[in-house]
Amino acid sequence: MSRTRSPKALAFTMVLPLLYLAGVAPDAPVGLTLLQEVHAVVGAPLTPVSVAGVARRTTRRVVVAETSATQAAAASTAATQQQQAATAQQQSATAQQQSATAQQQQAAASRPPGAPAAGAVVTALPAGCKPETKGGVEYQNCGGVYYRAAFQGNNLVYVVQ
Amino acid sequence: METTPRDRLTAALSRCCVIAALATLSVAAQAQSTGVAPEAMQMLKASTDFLASQQRFTADTRVTLEIVLKSGQKIEFNSTGHQFVQRPNKLRSERSGDLVEQVFVYDGKSLTLYQPQDKVYAQVAAPGTLEEMLDLAREKYDVVAPFGDLIFKNAYDILMDGVTEGLVVGKAVIEGAVCNHLAFRAPDVDWQIWIQEGAQPLPRRVVITTLDLPNAPQFAVTVTRWNLEPSFDAQTFTFTRQADMKRIELLPR
Repeated sequence: MSRTRSPKALAFTMVLPLLYLAGVAPDAPVGLTLLQEVHAVVGAPLTPVSVAGVARRTTRRVVVAETSATQAAAASTAATQQQQAATAQQQSATAQQQSATAQQQQAAASRPPGAPAAGAVVTALPAGCKPETKGGVEYQNCGGVYYRAAFQGNNLVYVVQ
Repeated sequence: METTPRDRLTAALSRCCVIAALATLSVAAQAQSTGVAPEAMQMLKASTDFLASQQRFTADTRVTLEIVLKSGQKIEFNSTGHQFVQRPNKLRSERSGDLVEQVFVYDGKSLTLYQPQDKVYAQVAAPGTLEEMLDLAREKYDVVAPFGDLIFKNAYDILMDGVTEGLVVGKAVIEGAVCNHLAFRAPDVDWQIWIQEGAQPLPRRVVITTLDLPNAPQFAVTVTRWNLEPSFDAQTFTFTRQADMKRIELLPR
């Protein structure tokens, strides 16, 4: 038996469907209101796709999935703290990132009102973003708020810098 | 104590309900005795052992996933997938469906997750076997490999962990194949599996019902086609970065 993980580890995931909506474009044509609600729900616990995953579901991270800055700012404190912790890990990853983040922390002082908190994770960018490369890393500049793409689990997300 | 007509009506209705409930329970009890039927265990074990013995295979899959909205309304999402497996250390899994296309490639050294339409990919170093890689992906990165756990050689142990009841429901035809339909219960989860009859006892369908979520949402996967003699080429398990693809981070969980 080559498995080393705990016996409660997930079982029987044949295909991961998880958050199909993670890649939804901001101008998604169908039922955006509905999609926003689905985002919110799937960020709470997901429907498990494995037998043992049912038991493990509570360990899944909360995805702060909103499309408007105001909503993102209103995201739960716990989620924000988790994301900040994740961001802290990223920050320590490379010196490049540290300097880029420092720049953005300076910029944060002039952050637009209602902008999402640094470290928040969204599944779709607001409208009108422009790519900008800093220190070899591509960011999306969305009205002065910078986002960086990443995979969080199977989902393409954008981390507010 | 004096009873009003309303009280008497309520009492009568209650008796009715009790009788109906008992009748239902009785029927259910006949169909579903407590404990795990040995035949159910044997059929499941035969299937997982058979798949574990396959060194290379592909499976085409169709998936439905229910999401429960805050209002209680259920919404269903659909996708299709293609899984390519070569033991002990190669995997490719593609899925496409509602709004996203994603590919997962493991070449024995690294695993790559990418979305061709979004032109992004993430790549991390990976251990040398499928099982270890899937553990790492799940536990460190929260990435669930399509087709993942069925690939484990001890899939039977994983599935049966915590199971309290199991039975053989009967025969059914899935995608044209005659199958044995099994149903199991474990804390907070009911699950069913349809296993092809005959010399190749392959799983053809799985349904997972989550009992401790509102409205008990379901995840279902059907294998529309198995191929136990696939031909793979050099590209099957290799990620080739296209020029306009950008590398992004895979966040640790």
